[in-house]
Amino acid sequence: MIITNAITVSSLSKYFKVPKRGKKSRKSKGIQKSNDNIVRAVDNISFEVKEGEIFGFLGPNGAGKTTTIRTLTGVLTPTEGKINIFGEDIWEHPIPIKQVLGNVPEMANVYMDLTALQNLSFIGELYGIPKKEHLNRAEMLLKKFELFEKRHFKAKKFSKGMKQRLLLCMALMSDPKILFLDEPVSGLDVQSARVIKQLIKDYNQRGMTIFLTTHDMNVANELCDRIAIINKGHIIRLDTPDNLKKLTQEYFAIDCYFENVQPIKEIKNLMSIKEVQEIKGGYHIIVENVNEALYEIINHAKSNNLKIIQLNTHQPTLEDAFLKLIEGGGKN
Amino acid sequence: MITQIRRSFVIAKKDFRIYYNKGPVVIQGILFPVILFFAFTIGRSIKPIYMISGLMAMVLFLTSTSIGPVVFPWETRQQTLERLITCPISIKTVLLGSIWGSSLFGVIFSSVPLILGLIFLSIQPSISLLIVIIGIILTALSFSSFSLILSVPPTDMPANTMILTILIKFPLLFISPLFMPINSTPLAVVSPLTYFIDIINTGLGENSSFGAYGLLIDFTILLTFGFVFLFLSFFLHGKTLQKRFRG
Repeated sequence: MIITNAITVSSLSKYFKVPKRGKKSRKSKGIQKSNDNIVRAVDNISFEVKEGEIFGFLGPNGAGKTTTIRTLTGVLTPTEGKINIFGEDIWEHPIPIKQVLGNVPEMANVYMDLTALQNLSFIGELYGIPKKEHLNRAEMLLKKFELFEKRHFKAKKFSKGMKQRLLLCMALMSDPKILFLDEPVSGLDVQSARVIKQLIKDYNQRGMTIFLTTHDMNVANELCDRIAIINKGHIIRLDTPDNLKKLTQEYFAIDCYFENVQPIKEIKNLMSIKEVQEIKGGYHIIVENVNEALYEIINHAKSNNLKIIQLNTHQPTLEDAFLKLIEGGGKN
Repeated sequence: MITQIRRSFVIAKKDFRIYYNKGPVVIQGILFPVILFFAFTIGRSIKPIYMISGLMAMVLFLTSTSIGPVVFPWETRQQTLERLITCPISIKTVLLGSIWGSSLFGVIFSSVPLILGLIFLSIQPSISLLIVIIGIILTALSFSSFSLILSVPPTDMPANTMILTILIKFPLLFISPLFMPINSTPLAVVSPLTYFIDIINTGLGENSSFGAYGLLIDFTILLTFGFVFLFLSFFLHGKTLQKRFRG
């Protein structure tokens, strides 16, 4: 079987001019800003997305994920570089290329004053799908996304999860070859997130290429075939989730919960600990020598009269690999 | 090209469904013409033809320019614009859609005073009513294109464009020969409303103020205004569209 590239991105950069001093300025954490009032939101990135894969774009806020997806979907013109979708330059042939793309932007919404069915019909008509066909497709999608009962309700009455499902239905109306999802489950309730993740898997199994951005490691780990980690406009690593996890193979992780919350400084001071992160009610600790670290933690608890509630050791997660790469800062 | 025009009608249908009952549109498109009509006419003795042409011009101008300035800031604010432009349509298609919707709104509302005038003021059209109708449609398209220029600033606050709109639209109304003969206001020639009023006056029995070639002059100038506004709005929106999606 010949695997072709669904998306080929070569030396893509997107810079924004920012207002000069004295005017309102945007402060965005993580965004590269040079002295000439140019924000380098995306700086010379290249990658390929293979047909039929789920490709994840992972990065902290302000890393350049949304700018990248906006250039790939024809919303923003790149400052430099080329984007080919199935071998065609999106900026040379925007209309036929957009015809095969589905998109759920992060900062997007449905039309609140239209019903769920009207929202889908509107998209169906914009893609030039015949009326009978788009109505059938809308019905099928509404059933699949558990919105059929509410099809005649205006979208303003929907919860956030329902709106997100409706947005996904809108993106799937044209039966796209590539689906772009910008933070698809961000801020959703567990049920909506589960429905969406399952449907992403289903559509991918039917051959749809999926490009998703996320800052959620679990989503990336669960869904993606390959992940590009982006920080400050640069891709710092592109690999499979398993290979990314191997970056921290020499380390172990310990999750430790005390009865009373301890200042993080005191935990950091322990000799054998490399990194500490506060997690809900405890600490996520990265260590090189797990036995030594456990010994030190238990001693620390004894000498400070602390009660340990839970102490788990495990292999580092994708999140640990991500943090290692992000904190390393540079290109690997 | 034909596909894009067809899709622009889909946008017009959506705009019509969503925006024409919104507060700012109702205020500018319906309440303002009614209030201004009384302000202009109460206590004055006005010829029935000038009454009809003035009211039609005011209604057509205010209604067909009421939606254009708010669609873009509104859609930017509601976060629907990004979704829209990732569809297989160009920005020109979105703008054309907005023009169709606004024009239809203007045509419907400006037809009301014409019908009332024909029924209650016993005005008889002196020339084919078709010319009057073509004049209404052409002017509505021209005014709608003009209104899109007012929504060029990449803001997500409809109030910002409303201020700009009022600052430009009202002076234009005041220099136009509403409810009076065309040659009674010196600056009237620079206002597109003047040529629409002349078409209606001529259509309802007056002689054209521009002499024997009156209607030809009126239609040519309105067509020119329309094309200039249309291409200017295409050009300016093309320049500012991406500024709506930063950050």
